Amino acid sequence: MELIIALGIGVLAGCGVWLLLRPRTFQVVLGLSLLSYSVNLFIFVMGWVRGGRPPFVEPGVAVDPRVFADPLPQALVLTAIVIAFATTALLLVVLLAARGLTGTDHVDGQEPGE
Amino acid sequence: MSSEWLLAVLLALPFLGSVAAALFPPNARNAEATLAAAVMFACLALTLAQYGAPARVDLPWLPAHGVDFVVRIDGLAWMFCALVCGIGFLVVLYARYYMSPRDPIARFYSLLLAFMGCMLGTVLSGNLVQLVFFWEATSLLSFLLVGYWHQNAAARDGARIALVITSAGGLCLFGGVLLLGQIAGSYDLEAVLASGDLIRADPAYVPALALIAVGALTKSAQFPFHFWLPQAMAAPTPVSAYLHSATMVKLGVFLLARLWPALAGTDAWMWIIGTTGLLTLVLGAYAAIFQHDLKGLLAYSTISHLGLVTVLLGLNSRLALVAALFHVMNHATFKASLFMTAGIIDHETGTRDIRRLNGLYRFMPVTATLAVVAAAAMAGVPLLNGFLSKEMFFAEALAVEGPVPLLNRALPYVAVAWGMFSVAYSLRFIHGVFFGPRPQGLPREPHEPPRWMRFPMELLVAACLLVGVLPALTIGPVLDAAVASVLGADAPEYSLAVWHGFTTPMMMSLAALAGGALLYMALRNYIARGREATPLLPPVEGRRVFDLAMATLSWRWARLALQALGTQRLQPQLRWVVVAALVAAGWPVYGRGLEWGPLPLTEIHWAFLLMWIAGAACALGAAWQAKFHRLAAIVLMGGAGVVVCLTFVWLGAADLALTQLLVEVVTTVLLLLGLRWLPKRVPFEPTRSGALKALPRRSRDLALAILSGAGLAALAYAVMTRPLPDSVSRFFLEQALPGGGGTNVVNVIIVDFRGFDTLGEIGVLGVVAITVYALLRRFRPPPESFEAQPPAARPHAEDLLVPRVLIRLMFPLIALFAAHLLLRGHDLPGGGFVAGLTLSIAFILVYLGEGAQWTEDRLAIRPLRWIAVGILVATATGAGSWLFAHAFLTSHTAHLGGLHLQSALFFDVGVFALVVGATALILIALAHQSTRAQRWS
Amino acid sequence: MIEHLLVAPIVLPLGVGAVLLLIEERRHRAKAVLSLTAALALAAMAALLVARADIATTHIYRLGSWPAPFGIVLVADRLSAAMVLLAAVLAIAALWFSLARWHGAGPHFHTLVHLLLAGLNGAFLTGDIFNLFVFFELLLAASYGLALYGGGAQRTRASLHYIVVNLAASLLFLIGVSLIYGVSGTLNMADIVTRLAALPAADRVLAEIGIGVLAVAFFVKAGMWPLGFWLAPAYAAASAPAAAIFSILTKVGIYAVLRLWLLVFGGTSGAELLAFGGMATLVYGVIGMLASQSLGGLAGHGLLVSSGTLLAAVGLGGAASTAAGLYYLAVSTVGIAAFFLLIELVERAREAGADVLAVTAEAFGLRREETQPEEEVGIVVPAAMAFLGLSFLGCGLVIAGLPPLPGFLAKFALMEALLSEEGSLPAAWSVVALLLASGLAATIAFGRAGVRIFWATERVPPAVRLAELAPIAALLVVCVVLAVLAGPVLDYLGEGARVLHEPAAYIEEVLGR
Repeated sequence: MELIIALGIGVLAGCGVWLLLRPRTFQVVLGLSLLSYSVNLFIFVMGWVRGGRPPFVEPGVAVDPRVFADPLPQALVLTAIVIAFATTALLLVVLLAARGLTGTDHVDGQEPGE
Repeated sequence: MSSEWLLAVLLALPFLGSVAAALFPPNARNAEATLAAAVMFACLALTLAQYGAPARVDLPWLPAHGVDFVVRIDGLAWMFCALVCGIGFLVVLYARYYMSPRDPIARFYSLLLAFMGCMLGTVLSGNLVQLVFFWEATSLLSFLLVGYWHQNAAARDGARIALVITSAGGLCLFGGVLLLGQIAGSYDLEAVLASGDLIRADPAYVPALALIAVGALTKSAQFPFHFWLPQAMAAPTPVSAYLHSATMVKLGVFLLARLWPALAGTDAWMWIIGTTGLLTLVLGAYAAIFQHDLKGLLAYSTISHLGLVTVLLGLNSRLALVAALFHVMNHATFKASLFMTAGIIDHETGTRDIRRLNGLYRFMPVTATLAVVAAAAMAGVPLLNGFLSKEMFFAEALAVEGPVPLLNRALPYVAVAWGMFSVAYSLRFIHGVFFGPRPQGLPREPHEPPRWMRFPMELLVAACLLVGVLPALTIGPVLDAAVASVLGADAPEYSLAVWHGFTTPMMMSLAALAGGALLYMALRNYIARGREATPLLPPVEGRRVFDLAMATLSWRWARLALQALGTQRLQPQLRWVVVAALVAAGWPVYGRGLEWGPLPLTEIHWAFLLMWIAGAACALGAAWQAKFHRLAAIVLMGGAGVVVCLTFVWLGAADLALTQLLVEVVTTVLLLLGLRWLPKRVPFEPTRSGALKALPRRSRDLALAILSGAGLAALAYAVMTRPLPDSVSRFFLEQALPGGGGTNVVNVIIVDFRGFDTLGEIGVLGVVAITVYALLRRFRPPPESFEAQPPAARPHAEDLLVPRVLIRLMFPLIALFAAHLLLRGHDLPGGGFVAGLTLSIAFILVYLGEGAQWTEDRLAIRPLRWIAVGILVATATGAGSWLFAHAFLTSHTAHLGGLHLQSALFFDVGVFALVVGATALILIALAHQSTRAQRWS
Repeated sequence: MIEHLLVAPIVLPLGVGAVLLLIEERRHRAKAVLSLTAALALAAMAALLVARADIATTHIYRLGSWPAPFGIVLVADRLSAAMVLLAAVLAIAALWFSLARWHGAGPHFHTLVHLLLAGLNGAFLTGDIFNLFVFFELLLAASYGLALYGGGAQRTRASLHYIVVNLAASLLFLIGVSLIYGVSGTLNMADIVTRLAALPAADRVLAEIGIGVLAVAFFVKAGMWPLGFWLAPAYAAASAPAAAIFSILTKVGIYAVLRLWLLVFGGTSGAELLAFGGMATLVYGVIGMLASQSLGGLAGHGLLVSSGTLLAAVGLGGAASTAAGLYYLAVSTVGIAAFFLLIELVERAREAGADVLAVTAEAFGLRREETQPEEEVGIVVPAAMAFLGLSFLGCGLVIAGLPPLPGFLAKFALMEALLSEEGSLPAAWSVVALLLASGLAATIAFGRAGVRIFWATERVPPAVRLAELAPIAALLVVCVVLAVLAGPVLDYLGEGARVLHEPAAYIEEVLGR
């Protein structure tokens, strides 16, 4: 299991970095989204508890922290997701604006060799 | 009033005067002149009042660095103060008549007074840092004064050159002073002067000396830095007379004299200072002969005389020091009066070119007489002050014993040669201008200047005579005090007599006078031909070299270097970031390695494996397709997102799964809406050459990608195989219900334990929404993107009827579901964020189904309102706990009858409102473009 | 009530920003009044914070009344307080300046500025590493908005680079933080220190990786070479008031480095990296200053010079250097902010025909950026040109570090501290040499530009408003005050730096032991 998740994170990150280094704005946006997927997963597994129960406590039951999945990384991931969502939206609109103003979708606002 | 007070006032007065002068109306010539003269005279009076009374004022300045603001006056400082104030007073008087009514006079006097203040500050500072402080300020003011007539290019260039050279020197001096301070352990002047032996013994002595020497020699226009001074002659003549002959250029030699006890007396000193001075002495005098511009001649003569002073200081002989200080005073008097003469001639005839001037004696006999006397002093004719210091120089030249054999042997001859040159150019100045035939074709008909314009000259010339005849009575005591303040107890015996009998120096003087006269006779015809160049000297002009160097170093090379070291393209920058991250992550591993944890792996579930194979495939596919098939890429990425989402479900993170899913949906919608405006890109067969060219770049990126992926995977694996540290989460799990009043620990963390994070996070969402709104409000889509989608593709044809009905029915249901999610969030998966996204998805569904028009007619969404209210509600909830004297965001439970309301719920409501507003705003703003676009197409 | 003063600098701008959203766009006056009042109130609070940090060195605020390290804590020591004050001062100047025309050039300028302030203050005050991330994101998001503010191709292109690079950096930030949590199990800065100390070597490696990645994120923000190429173009392209506030953004990265590095590493390992990175940045900035044709480029690279200097100072020196560095930070930030504001007026003076062009463009129905004023609002101040020249001189003096303005004192204090502290003398001397060289370069660059602009060409006095001149003058006055009070300020910061270098007290305060 751990291996699969680790590899999954790795693949997502790799694709993300590859796209991040591409010259077209749209590729960069996708790259950043893929990267944020992998980073979210990464944050999540920082609190890895094998077969941990979902962190919902029942009233009147003494809490044994060892049986639960670590809730804190989940909370962090939630925040991270939201921020990633916001920035992705922003970047998308910025690249649209750049495209509208510069007439190209190259990250440098001009085709290479111009 | 105590002498400390006098001192403080003396230093403060010029600056106050400068401020006052700046405030005058631009045409108030007389008022300005009166004010300036009054200030200068007051300063002179204050200086005289402190004669022979050394005083010192300490004010705390930078105690953390052991530096105080020390104003101290002693013999040397007094001498220079008197010089600065006295000459200043006369120059102001002169400038009153010299400056034209059209000049912006307020700036002139204001700068002049400020300059005087800085001069006083330099000579009076009892602390080296403070000395540098004022020193640099004088460079700056000289820059501003030289560029006073900035409409002509010469002034601008002169100013720029002066600024660069002198401030570069100033910075060297700064470095030297720091070094000196480190050696001596203090920046206080007296402390430094006291520890002279320590300094001279220190290995850092030579570098310190070199740096300080550069500072001093640039300021005093010594070879090879001399060329800024002739360029600076573009300044108004009063400025040249004051700054560039009498005072500022003397600062260099002042510093050398000031630091003499700390630095002088070594071979290095003699090498650096002595030889530089010697070269400058000869070259300056020689070049002066061949100048055609009156001020140019005077400038080179000034360089040469400063060289004389420098040599004397460089000889490591105490008598030479006396001669040097004496000559500083003499030079100031006769050179200032000569500059004034040049100014008057310029003023009255309209030209300064010696070749055009002739026989002015007829028109201005008085001025001519004064000039003759002053020039004679410059040439060192007996019974004038110049003669006396020259004699001392000759005496020293004969007596010198140093490590520089050249200096020892050649000095007497060099001295005589210098004397001849001085005589020659003095003769040229006088004979060429005042005697000979009537001048032809002058711009103006010359005549005597106004009475009071001549007055300063008269005073100065009188001084030359007085000192020349009765040195011991006039200058003697001052000189004694100055020398004593430098040399202290071991001040040498010397006599300031006019007549020492037929000594060798006397003979040398006579030889120089005769030789000079002969030289001038011999050269007259050559000079009359009016060549610009100086014979026997290589035609390299410092100015040209300087310009070339500046253009090359500070412009061309800089631009090349910038291109080499930096980039304006995005991809290299991102590459750097990735590389930096890899290095930062690799550094600790390097050498120590990265160990996996001890835990055994949990067994693999085949479904999970399959899921992730699909996920990886999706990711790779998205990466592959992103360039040409954007739609496919979006879908594939969505697939990857779904896999991530399912992973969250699998690992029991319901909230994450829910949120991830909704975000997924919204993001996809956004991307789809955005696609429309991107240029169509048809897949093309890459040419072999192109592919080859791209190959190294692509393979490098691929390597980076693989490395980053592998690195992150390794880190994740390393952590997952480790037992969890005793984390703070234990507390959250235990306290969620009792402390936070919720069973959904994650949600309790978000709205309570770490609610502050959430507050910031919704802030981010809000800002982004506003930015998006602002951007799209001014968004102009490229024209060709209208053809990209034919209008038929727009969704309000009948073929969408069924979904539209469905949507209308679903909207309230979804809204209800959203409310449910919001309310239960504290105990079960859900919460404000999820609920908000849900509702905004409902909105977007309606938009898609009905089109913007229909929707906005029926439900008026004010996204900005939602955002504002959201932030306010959340903030207010947090601040509410202040009422209970609790910290911000402390949760409370209000019991109303049966149900108990939690403050955390209100907070979540705020989150909800903001998320709805932000998401809706972004989606709507984008969706609107479609409708707007139609209007333009 | 007074104890809530710690959270107020974050809550107030947040709330005010929201309220400003509710006010309709065309009611500029109301917005302006509210916004400026809030900024002034913020400055007052900051001053109070500074004053209180003088009494007891660290003040703690436990959000949600949860005990540390579980809840989020705010910590105000002298460093944080001073930074908050600095931010407020810049904000006031920028807002004031914007009243002339900028705040009408697009939607919700004031809101953006206030949310930026909320982010800045949060970053300066928080004692929790993930909370630091959140506020970084807030201030970055707001800065994206401000960088784009006013629109135009140039601006959008530069902002695109700015945004992408910083998003990548933010992801690194997340990785670092989560990794640190993964091995230490906590997010509270003070707690991290105590727990890292107890880690076995194998886990220590992971922690250091996390910290290293985190550092990269901060270096990107600080514009360290070779991660800072985006900075100069983005700032030069930004609107004047935005750029003025941005001059503190690079300092946030430096603040974070200073805080965390001294806290976690006690300023030992990685010092060389900081020092050499700083020197490289310094060199690059100097070259950039010489090579840049536009005043904007001059200012942008000036920022690089200042952050390079600071990084080098932090890396090389001890408490004294840090103190001097902080003084230098304040001086250079204010000076460059003033210069950014000045640039617009100077440029306006240069292209006197610009407005005419705009009008004709309008007449022919051509597109016209909103950055051009809707109508020529300025009135020709007779002394305007003189004022501009004088302020140009002032900014040049501050940035080049020439007397009589405090740039000189700051540089002296810095160099003196570097030399007199024990530590590698060659490195210290090379920094000193670089500092002196940078001073010369700045003098050359400013001299050249100033002569070209103010002397070489006779030009009509520009149409400027008092609201545009006043903030520049105010910032320069702040510089003068800093020069006059150099002694006390340096003492104050010296104590603050000492606390930074001996974090034991800080840790105990936060963890309440």
